[in-house]
Amino acid sequence: MKDYEAYAETNSRKNIMLIGIAGVFCAVVAAIGVVAIFVGADLFGVGENTEAQGNSDSAEHTDAGPAITPDGEQIEIGIAYGTEKERWLKEAVTEWEKTPGARQVKVNLIPMGSIEGAHAVLAEDKRIHVWSPASSVYKDSFKVDWQLKFNGNPFYAEDILAISPMVFVMWEERYQEFIAKYGEVSFSTIEQALNEPGGWDAIAGKSDWGLFKFGHTHPNKSNSGLVSLILMAYDYHKKIKELTLKDILDPDFQTWFESLEKGVDYSVHSTGTLMKRMVQMGPSKFDCVMVYENVAMENVATAAGRWGDIRVVYPERNVLNDNPYYILNVPWSDDAHKKAAKVFLDFLMSERIQRLSLNHGFRPGNVRVPIKFAGSMFNDLAGYGIKVDLNTVCEPPTGAVLTNIQDNWQRRHGR
Amino acid sequence: MPRPLSRLLPIILLAMLAVSACQKEAEPTPNPAKTTLGTTDAAPPGALELVFPFGSEKQDWMEAVTAEFNAAGHESSSGKPIYVTLKPMGSGECMEEVRTGRIKANLVSPASGAFIELANAKNRTTTGKNLVEKADNLVMSPVIIAMWKPMAQAMGWPDKAIGWGDILEIAQSGEGWKKFGKPQWGKFRFGHTHPEFSNSGLISLLAEVYAANGKTRGLTREDVAKPETATYLEEIEQAVVHYGSSTGFFGKTMFNNGPSYLSAAVMYENMVIEATRGDYDLSMEVVAVYPKEGTFWSDHPCGVVNADWNDEEHRKAAQTFIDYLLEKPQQERAMEFGFRPADVQVPLAAPIDEAHGVNPKEPKTTLAVPGAEVMDDILKLWNKHKKHSNVIVVLDTSGSMQEEERMPNARLGAQEMLKLLHDEDVFSLLTFSNEMSWLSKGQPVGKKRDDLRSDIQGLFPEGRTRLYDSILEAHRYARSASGGNLITAIVVLTDGEDTLSKTTLTDLLRRISADENGDTVPVFTIGYSTGEDQNQKLDQIADRTRAKFFKGTPENIREVFKSISTFF
Repeated sequence: MKDYEAYAETNSRKNIMLIGIAGVFCAVVAAIGVVAIFVGADLFGVGENTEAQGNSDSAEHTDAGPAITPDGEQIEIGIAYGTEKERWLKEAVTEWEKTPGARQVKVNLIPMGSIEGAHAVLAEDKRIHVWSPASSVYKDSFKVDWQLKFNGNPFYAEDILAISPMVFVMWEERYQEFIAKYGEVSFSTIEQALNEPGGWDAIAGKSDWGLFKFGHTHPNKSNSGLVSLILMAYDYHKKIKELTLKDILDPDFQTWFESLEKGVDYSVHSTGTLMKRMVQMGPSKFDCVMVYENVAMENVATAAGRWGDIRVVYPERNVLNDNPYYILNVPWSDDAHKKAAKVFLDFLMSERIQRLSLNHGFRPGNVRVPIKFAGSMFNDLAGYGIKVDLNTVCEPPTGAVLTNIQDNWQRRHGR
Repeated sequence: MPRPLSRLLPIILLAMLAVSACQKEAEPTPNPAKTTLGTTDAAPPGALELVFPFGSEKQDWMEAVTAEFNAAGHESSSGKPIYVTLKPMGSGECMEEVRTGRIKANLVSPASGAFIELANAKNRTTTGKNLVEKADNLVMSPVIIAMWKPMAQAMGWPDKAIGWGDILEIAQSGEGWKKFGKPQWGKFRFGHTHPEFSNSGLISLLAEVYAANGKTRGLTREDVAKPETATYLEEIEQAVVHYGSSTGFFGKTMFNNGPSYLSAAVMYENMVIEATRGDYDLSMEVVAVYPKEGTFWSDHPCGVVNADWNDEEHRKAAQTFIDYLLEKPQQERAMEFGFRPADVQVPLAAPIDEAHGVNPKEPKTTLAVPGAEVMDDILKLWNKHKKHSNVIVVLDTSGSMQEEERMPNARLGAQEMLKLLHDEDVFSLLTFSNEMSWLSKGQPVGKKRDDLRSDIQGLFPEGRTRLYDSILEAHRYARSASGGNLITAIVVLTDGEDTLSKTTLTDLLRRISADENGDTVPVFTIGYSTGEDQNQKLDQIADRTRAKFFKGTPENIREVFKSISTFF
């Protein structure tokens, strides 16, 4: 237990959110690209995971290890996670079940939107011992809500599982026509396309493509929907940090924002499902969506098997989604639950399982795992627009700004 | 007479909630002969039974994969063998039966997510919780216009994309196929289901109103209120052969009866694929036309039922079955039945291809679902401007009708049908026992509704069964009274064999069958507690006139009359 506590303490120090890092050093990041992010990650402490990594790798190969419960009985933990990680986490759990550790820890995956997961914890959903949203952007809001209701710190320990920026995904054929008309894919040009009275007829003389159709997830249910709204605000104000309440309440921004959002399909509550809908129903349902990079990469082949190639475009201003793993400090999670959650975290951070995340388009949280090498998805999918270096990374807004963005959207769209 | 609001609301809500295409209500009376060993039988002793109501359009796929699941020995958490009992039915009906607890289902799968949204909304009102918390799409199928290939080609397909507007233009013109240089094909005959009962009918109606206004999004109440919209709608609806609650029935009758019966009908992509698999003796190839203005998707969600009767062991077993349905082999199997797998990791392959009349790269766009108020206005507009009907009810009043409370229930059924007819509809009643008797002939319902109701209430049983003479008499009258502006149809109810007619069955069939132009008056037949032999004869009569046979009992006869009324 002593070792574990020491580990947890070290871990809590080193688990600085990557978005936070990016925010503080965004100017540097903007200048030198994403390579600096990963170099920076090492410099600023995330790289310290490697020590834990060594521990966890060795733990993976031992037997069931020291007893987590006093009587050595199996304990169940529930992980509320966003569907963007579904395929990787399911694969990881399958691998976990092959290890001796599975005799002690049974992992239940509970899929729900990132923000839905926070709401479920606040509603005391006792199945949940770990909350693993797509990013830490909603962490502070959740913490404030928790403390208003229950007092205390709801987080016991945390780590960054994997990183994924936001991307626009378009069907290649339609992307070419879009670029020919507007020159670039951005929120500004999307707003123009959504408001073309003749839809694709006006954009490219393709009346049978109907109106231009753009989608992001529901911003009050899913992280990527909320992040999409944040990026819209940053993009409109041409900023990369210090988004203020004044920016959000600016009448000109409000007018533009409404002009964009009124044409958006936000009916889907999770990012994995949004991408799945795009592939299931093709361009008849969505010409373009905003999703996580990994979700886009996972679906390049599936999209080709249904409708054709997709094109991935990185927004000029981006946010890195850090997929945190929060071990919760909540009344229904006792020491054994927390310890079990930590044991599984170590397994997820092991090099072998982190490499699996790479196969699902994630940039691994364990920086020992390289992403750019022959045969890597990041190399293989370059022709579809995938790239390692990013443009500009924005800092996450404050809780008050975030709340206002959500409230402003809710008031206008009311669902 | 306007439809009661309670009947309109679910449709309005469905449409409001719909984000993808919706599929039809099922056959009004499921064919009792349609059972599959191992899936609709009772569960074996000692098994953990999962009751699974689902939208009947995916029945063939579901039966095939469920039989394999039941045989594979999957076990519940306590080690019992899991056995799935299938209950195919209409999607709306399926959710309502589960929500009210009449069917204690463990999992459920309507044709569209909109049905789950609607049931959840209702359930939250009564119990405070969702009926289905989480659902996964099983298969997908877009709404299309099924057309005979030469007819589609005559309209310029596939070089020219065909849309709702083109279909509606030919329907509207009154010129028929002469407009495209094919006068030998006669009139343009169009089919869509009843928009108050079936979502494919509702979708057709929306498309008509969109086309009338030259829009694909942003339809307003002002658009619906324009006189031009009403005129456009009325002219199109004149080409409709009849309505109905079952999209499947349209498919079946279109493919069985050929282009003289229907030129085009709104249905689902998988039905076109079914038609090309050799189940029908097609006189022409059939193709799916994906309307250029946009269409809707049917997504078949499936989820575990969140109800007290569904304990943890059953819920886990239900999830095991859902996971099984989503596994690659079952998803690939769905394609054999014409569905697009929901699992996007399964690439589309044959028969989702042009060789089977469909295009895997279509549809290219979808139509937006208007708001509830606009939808309500559209349904009201349709009720006012739909094709009205001329219904002739031929009712058996022979002595045997006094058995098993048959007569009182038949009266209630006929009165139910009368209630559902509009004021602008025309109604006739021919009764028969030893003799035939016209109690009313060609009466507009609006002015005579109460009198007609009294006439029906005054019927009593006696005498023998002059069935064939009576059908022939009604058919003669119907032919003379049928015109382009009304859906003319005969509804026959009998509880026994003909015992008195001069007309033989052979003679009757010859005289009521469709002529070389495909013209006839449909004769819907109801075998009322009749035996198998008589049912077969009644089925033949319905079949020859491109109508439908129903099995009736004193318990279900009101529902049967209601189902038939959806054709008008």
